Amino acid sequence: MSGGRSPGANAAPMAPAPPVLSCRGLTKRFGGPEGGVLANDGVDLDLFAGRVHALLGENGAGKSTLMSMLSGAFRPDAGALLLRGEPLVLRSPAAAMRAGIGMVHQRFALVEALTGAENLALAAGGAPSPRAAAELAEAFGLLLDPKRRVSELSMGERQRLEILKLLACDARILILDEPTSVLAPAEISGLYGTLRRLADQGRAVVLVTHKLPEIADVADEVSVLRRGRMLARNMPRSQGLPTGWDLAGLSRLMVGRELPGASSGRQRRPGASARETVLRVRGLCGQGQPPAFADVHFEVARGEVLAVVGVAGNGQEALAAVLGGTKRPARGTATVLGREADQALVAYVPEDRHGTATVPGMTLAENLLLSTTGSRGAYLQGGAGSRAARAAIAALGVVASGPQALARDLSGGNLQKFILARELSKSAPLLVVEQPTQGLDVLAVSEVHAAIRRAAEESAVVLVTGDPAEALALAGRVAVLFRGRVAGVVDPGEAGAFARVGRLMAGLSDPAAEGPAGPVGVPGGKPGAGGRP
Amino acid sequence: MLPSPDWESLALLGQIAVKSSTAVLLAAYGEIVAERSGVLNLGLEGMLLLGALAGFAVGAATGDPAAALGAAAGAGALGALAHGIFVLSLGAEQVLSGLALSLLGAGLTGVLGRDLLGAPGLVLPSVPLPVLADVPVLGPALCNQPVLTYLALLLGPLLWWALGRTRWGLLVRACGENASAAYASGVPVRLVRYGCTCFGGALAGLGGAFLSLSYTPGWKEGLSAGQGWIAIAMVVFAAWRPLRALWGGLFFGLLTALQFTWQAEGAQWLPLWVLRAAPYLLTLLVLALAQTSAALRRRSGPPADLGRFFRPGG
Repeated sequence: MSGGRSPGANAAPMAPAPPVLSCRGLTKRFGGPEGGVLANDGVDLDLFAGRVHALLGENGAGKSTLMSMLSGAFRPDAGALLLRGEPLVLRSPAAAMRAGIGMVHQRFALVEALTGAENLALAAGGAPSPRAAAELAEAFGLLLDPKRRVSELSMGERQRLEILKLLACDARILILDEPTSVLAPAEISGLYGTLRRLADQGRAVVLVTHKLPEIADVADEVSVLRRGRMLARNMPRSQGLPTGWDLAGLSRLMVGRELPGASSGRQRRPGASARETVLRVRGLCGQGQPPAFADVHFEVARGEVLAVVGVAGNGQEALAAVLGGTKRPARGTATVLGREADQALVAYVPEDRHGTATVPGMTLAENLLLSTTGSRGAYLQGGAGSRAARAAIAALGVVASGPQALARDLSGGNLQKFILARELSKSAPLLVVEQPTQGLDVLAVSEVHAAIRRAAEESAVVLVTGDPAEALALAGRVAVLFRGRVAGVVDPGEAGAFARVGRLMAGLSDPAAEGPAGPVGVPGGKPGAGGRP
Repeated sequence: MLPSPDWESLALLGQIAVKSSTAVLLAAYGEIVAERSGVLNLGLEGMLLLGALAGFAVGAATGDPAAALGAAAGAGALGALAHGIFVLSLGAEQVLSGLALSLLGAGLTGVLGRDLLGAPGLVLPSVPLPVLADVPVLGPALCNQPVLTYLALLLGPLLWWALGRTRWGLLVRACGENASAAYASGVPVRLVRYGCTCFGGALAGLGGAFLSLSYTPGWKEGLSAGQGWIAIAMVVFAAWRPLRALWGGLFFGLLTALQFTWQAEGAQWLPLWVLRAAPYLLTLLVLALAQTSAALRRRSGPPADLGRFFRPGG
C-alpha cells in the first residue's frame, strides 16, 4: 500500500491542517470514585482528515473506553472533545452520528432478520430501497447484495454493511474496533483498500487494534495506549524503516517493559529426571477452516507450569478449550498420564467466569455441586455442597457472604478465586487456567498467582494468557502462539526473555529460534522486518 | 351427513364464518404489531372484555356508534398502556403482566358490568355494500357485514404492507428483532414499543366492541369466551404475519360457523369438541412442524427480541 502513494502525501502535509477531532485530557473511571478502574487517564489525541490512524493497545488498555467516548456511548468524567476546534458534548451514539462520528463495533449492531437495505434505511432514515442501497455500495466500491438478509451475509459483508451505514449517514470520522478480527486474511487487504480510499476522500479513519503487523501497511500514524494512558501520540510513519514502523519498539510500548515480581516466584525448570510427564500433546489441530491452531506439540511434567501466550485471536482460546475438554480437536492427541483426558484428570478454569465457569444465578454451593461429586444418586447432598463451598471460600480467602451467595454477586476477583479453589479441590493431575487475572485488581492478581504456584507443586499446570508478564512470572517455559502455530518457546531465565516473547507475539521473526519449536512466521513475508535489534 | 351443497346455505355459512372471525382477527393483528415490536401481551382476553363493556356502555348511553367504538378502542389501549408501563418502564416479566391483565379485564368487567346485564343497547348492524352484496355466495360473505368486519378484512393486507414496505414498519421490526441495534441507529425503542402495544390494545378493544355491539349484541359476563386466547394462538399459527393471520382467522371463523350450522341442522360428522379444539391443535401442529428444519425455524420463528426488556444505554 505504501508503494501506491507518493511519500508523505497524507502523513505529513506541508502546512499542517488543524485536526478534525481532538481529545484533551479525557478521563473515565469505572466503579466507585475511590476504588474502581481508571480506564482512561487524561488521554489526548488528534484525528486528521485524510489519515488512517491506528490506535494500539492490549486488551484492557482502555482503547474501547476511549472510542466509546468519541462515539457517544460513554460520557467522559473529565476532559473535552473538540470538533474542528469547537467544544463537543455527545449525549448518545445518535448525537455522535449527527456530528459525523460513526463507529463500527466489534460486535456488529445489525438487525439480522432484516435485509441490508432495511438496515441502511434504519440508520440513515427514509424508506428501505434496495436500488438506492446498491448504488451507494457501488459508489464506495463495497461489494454487497442489499436484498439479502443480514443473517445470510458473511462477516466480511456485514462489516461492509456497517461501514456503508456510516457512509449513508455521511460520517466524516469512522472508527473501527478490531476490524480484522472477523476477517479472513484475504479480506483484510480489501478492507484496507476501502479504508485508504475513504481517507483519501477526506475522511478521518481510526483503526483500533492490538494486531501490530497488520496495520503496518495501512496506517498513516499510530498512537499507543497502555493501562489507560496515552504513551505515544500521533507518531508518523518513519520512512527509513522497511515496514514504515519500529514494530518491536511499538510492541514494547504496548505490553510494557516492567516485570512485576518476575524473579521472586518464577518457577524453575524441573529436574528432567524425577518428574513424571502428565500432559502429552501430539500434533494437535483445532477445528475450523483455517484451524484455530495447528501442529502443536508439547509435554508438561508434574510440578511444572507451561505458559501459552499469544495476542487474542491467535488460537490460544481454542487450544485452552481443547485441553480443558470443552471442545474436540480436529486432529492429534492430548493425553493425561497416558490416558484420554476427562473430567477427573483435568481441572479447567475457563476465561469466561460468568457463564462457562459458573451459573451466575445459582449459589456458590450449587455451583460446586454442579461440577463436582456431591450428589448421591438423584439426591443433592446440600450439606456436602455447603461444606465444600465453605472450604473453597476459606482456602483462597474469597470475600462472599457464604455458600448461599449467588455467583453473580461476587466481584470478578472473588469469583475467580472461588472457581480456582473449586478446581483445585479436585486434585486433578492437570490444571488448565485461561486468562486467570483478566480484569482483576492488583491484590487479586497476586492471590490468584500464589494459588497457581501452589497448585503447580502437585500438578502439571498449563497457563493460557495474553499477558506476557504473567506468563514469564509464573511459568518455567513460555510457548508463544502466533496464527495458531507455536512461534517459539522461551525460557524466562534467559536474557531478554521479555523482549523475545513480545516479538514472537507480534509475529516478528525470531533470530534466537531454536529448532523443534515449529515454523516461525514472518507475517506477510516482509523480509527485513526482524532486522531491528 | 354433509349439508346438501345448495348455494344459499353455502352463502350463509360464508357470511357467518367471516363474521365469526372478526374479533379474533382484530385482536390477532394488534398482537402481531405489538409482538413484532418486541412486546408480548397475553392480556388480549382482558382487553377484549374491557373494549366490549366500554363500547356497550357508551353505546347504550349515547347511541353514538363513533363514541362507542372510540370508547372501546380507548379502553383496550388503556389496558395495554398499563401493561406497557409495567413491562417497558418497570421491567416486569411480560408473561406475568399479560396474564394479570387478562385476569384484571375479566374481573373488572364482571363487577362494572353487573348493572348492564341484559340491558338493551346500541346495535351496529350489517351494512351491505351496494351491488357487490348481490354477487352470489361471495357477496353475502364479504360484502354484507358490519363495519368492523370490513375493517378486519382490510387490515390484513394493510398491515402486511405497512410492516414490510414502510419506514414505520421497519422501525417496528427493528425494535422487535434487535432493540440495541435499533437504538444505536437512533430509533426511540421504548416509544415505538409503547405505541405498538397501545395500538394492539386499541384493536383488541374494537374486537370486543364487535362482540357486544354486532355479533351477539348486549353485555354478558365473559362474552369473549376465550377468543383472546385463540387470537394469541393465531399469532403463532400465522408466524407473526398479518396476511397469514387473515387466512388463519377466516379458517377459525369457518370452524365456528360449522358448529352453528351443524347444531341447527342436527347433522354432525365430527364431534363438536374437535371443532372447538381445532385452533389450538393446529397451532401446536404448526409449531411442531416449524421446528423440523432450521430454515423453517428462521422464517417462521418469533421476533428475536420478543419479550426482552430493553433499557437504553445499558
